[in-house]
Amino acid sequence: MTSSLTRSVVLALLLLFLVGPFIVIIAASFSGGDTLAFPPQGFSLQWVVKVFMVQSFRSSFALSMFLAVFATFAALVLGIPASYALARYRIPFGETVRTVVSSPIIVPGIIVGLALLRYLVVPFRIDVILALFLAHTALVLPYAVRVVSASLDNLRSDIEEAAVLLGSSRLGAFFRVVMPNIRGGILAAFILGFVTSFNQVPVSLFLSGPGVQTLPIDMLGYMERTYDPSVAALSSLLAFMSIGIVFLAERFIGFSRYV
Amino acid sequence: MFQNRAEGLALALPAAIFAAIVFVLPVIILLSGGLHVGGHWSGEAYIRFFGGSLNRLVLWRTLELGVLVTLVAAVVGYASAFAIVGLSASAKGRMIGLVVLPLMISPVARTYAWFVILGRTGMVNKALILVGLTDRPVRFLFTETAVFIGLLQLFLPLMVISLVSALENMPRDVVPAARVLGANWLQIFFKVVLPLTREGLVIGGTLVFTGAVTAYITPAILGGSKVLTLVTLLYQRVTIANDLVSASVIALLLIVMSFGANLLLKRLATARNRT
Amino acid sequence: MKKTLIASAAVLLLAMGNAHADEKTLTISVYAFAQDAYGKIVYRPFEKICGCKIVVETGNSAERLAKMEANKANPVIDMAVMSMADALEASRKGLIDKIDTSKLSNYDKLYDIAKDPNKDGMSIGYTFYATSIAYRSDKATVNSWNDLFSKKLAGQVAFPDVTTNQGPPALYMLGIAMGKNTPDLKAPIEEVGKHRNDIVTFYNRSSQLVQLFEQGEIWAAPIGRFAWAPIHKLDVPIKWATPKEGQTGGMNVMVVTKGSKNRDLALKFMDFWLSTPVQKGLADALVDSPANKDVKVSPEVADNITYGADTAASLKLIPSAIDLENRNKWLQEWNAEVAQ
Repeated sequence: MTSSLTRSVVLALLLLFLVGPFIVIIAASFSGGDTLAFPPQGFSLQWVVKVFMVQSFRSSFALSMFLAVFATFAALVLGIPASYALARYRIPFGETVRTVVSSPIIVPGIIVGLALLRYLVVPFRIDVILALFLAHTALVLPYAVRVVSASLDNLRSDIEEAAVLLGSSRLGAFFRVVMPNIRGGILAAFILGFVTSFNQVPVSLFLSGPGVQTLPIDMLGYMERTYDPSVAALSSLLAFMSIGIVFLAERFIGFSRYV
Repeated sequence: MFQNRAEGLALALPAAIFAAIVFVLPVIILLSGGLHVGGHWSGEAYIRFFGGSLNRLVLWRTLELGVLVTLVAAVVGYASAFAIVGLSASAKGRMIGLVVLPLMISPVARTYAWFVILGRTGMVNKALILVGLTDRPVRFLFTETAVFIGLLQLFLPLMVISLVSALENMPRDVVPAARVLGANWLQIFFKVVLPLTREGLVIGGTLVFTGAVTAYITPAILGGSKVLTLVTLLYQRVTIANDLVSASVIALLLIVMSFGANLLLKRLATARNRT
Repeated sequence: MKKTLIASAAVLLLAMGNAHADEKTLTISVYAFAQDAYGKIVYRPFEKICGCKIVVETGNSAERLAKMEANKANPVIDMAVMSMADALEASRKGLIDKIDTSKLSNYDKLYDIAKDPNKDGMSIGYTFYATSIAYRSDKATVNSWNDLFSKKLAGQVAFPDVTTNQGPPALYMLGIAMGKNTPDLKAPIEEVGKHRNDIVTFYNRSSQLVQLFEQGEIWAAPIGRFAWAPIHKLDVPIKWATPKEGQTGGMNVMVVTKGSKNRDLALKFMDFWLSTPVQKGLADALVDSPANKDVKVSPEVADNITYGADTAASLKLIPSAIDLENRNKWLQEWNAEVAQ
């Protein structure tokens, strides 16, 4: 179609634009200087070390980890049965249910955060962490439903009907026949949900209190207070963590098929 | 298909009720706040909002940035997708991996990088001066250009992957066939490729547009108070003035824009398919 | 598997809730700059004394006020610092309580102007600062507030947003320099609007300026003296201007939130912060100028902060009441002339 030279140029430019900033961040992480600059002045590990010394990073990392794991898990617990019902049952108002469940993806995060803060957290005195957990669960739910639904659509429904006819209970058929076949999809949904929740900023922007901050919000605040490369170092570490997870997922379940 | 409605509902309802209580209800209450001012229903808040020239300007700027980012992402996306589709299977896998890579990195980090790259002493300015395009540093930070670049980098991967899968689903021989029939590249693109990949373009376009108009970090860091968008304006109104009425108006505008883009693009996809 | 996960989630949630309840915590809301120094000089030492935990929230004064208003029914923070004008507004909105000064052993050591700046018993000054212009001496000279808009500095200036503590004072001085000094700040706001394109950004937090100076993005900005130390330390030649119209500034005050459950602890913390060693520590770190008159500092330190009651008295300040009366007008004018 295109000559191979043009193709190489196009791809090189695309990668420069998309991946270039990432390289800047990695390089700045190992800077010997006090400020974020590129090219970095000298080489040192001081900023990588500092990341682990900053107390607020430790607690916000723990909170973000907690949210990403448990909110995604909760979203799957809610989302898998819902996806199954939407795929296999003829239910009244099915489309409404689908719209409601996937609405958090369409409404901008900042509005979700503000609405939850003002009309759930403040009036009902709900703990901010619980509110964050609920908000992140709602946020991940659409991804869970979408990915799991796609897996279910690809699975022939007559196998489980056969299992039921052969005397298995509906529940037994689900766990013995359906679950093993959509395991990859569930894992993919989990990873997608994890990354979405972990990097989420707008929802958590309002839903944070003194001492309760997710990692990205903490990083934003840190950048406003101090201008040293430790945020770059932290970003690199997080990026490698994400890449590692996705790489393993691709290796074992072919992650990209599901996204 | 199972016919037992009660069983189906029992499975689907927990998720629906959860989303309704935790999500739909608070958002609706927030939105009604802009229509229910001083104890009665009225559009007063909206009239006041649109009466402020700053608000109109911010709305316009947000739309403009959204459209511009989407258009440029579509052009770059097609060029990239064509290049990627032509690669061998293994090279294609690696390439898609690299394109998706930025999506896995915190947007805070990605925007932070642009702050350094686009600075007066950053690489872009060094390169421009080296090449001789300018003799003094160009100001990028806190301009619409910086916000545009940041948003494009954030959302371009979504367009590229949508278009790659659309191009892959296009029958292999249509382009050579059109070529044989004497069509030039422009004709081939608009008459053959575009109609056949419309759905991918629509999906990618919706994701890019809604992403761009609802982004917070990029306009906040790269634009600052001189380049407010609807989202940063909303944030400012709430955090500085505790002004929930304006926030409610902006929230509705943002939701209308997201839904609107969704509907409009879906229409475009199906309407043209029928003819 | 599912059950264990749910159970552990529940346990974790409970544990997190308990961590809050078990330990005595004092929640404070302060400015974002110099948090490292505050941690070392104020928070950590106090935590050792009280056996409690200090939880810190940061933001600018206006943000803090808005948040306190939003959480009025269920206050989150126990103690806050803010500008004098914001403290007056907080008091009018019923967000803060009278301060029981009999519980502050260091109260009598304060300069008189710091004791009750708004004359309502609701706030206590803990530091004051001069506001002038920091500028790159290798690029330009600044002898007047008008010089912010000189040709040499065009495209190189950061100006404080009108909603920040530094915004109105800077506009006020600009008005004096222009010879059009009215409380509505109309002339200086129009002037800033006219030079809108020559201004790099309207900043919201002084801490951001370090990065902008360092990266060469800006060559001049009106700043408070508290933000001077890190800028002064940069590798670029930066000077503190002494404009012929004089310097402006402000006082930061402490307040206690109405409905706070940790009132005694908050007062103990305030007393600690106002004590001579702590105030001296903050002064020596070039963070805050002392409001405690017993603090004696070296001449070098005195040069770098806003030391002494005379210096404070020489600053041209906007009275809180005038600020409150006019701030809506300023904002409207600003939005019409500058923000677009």
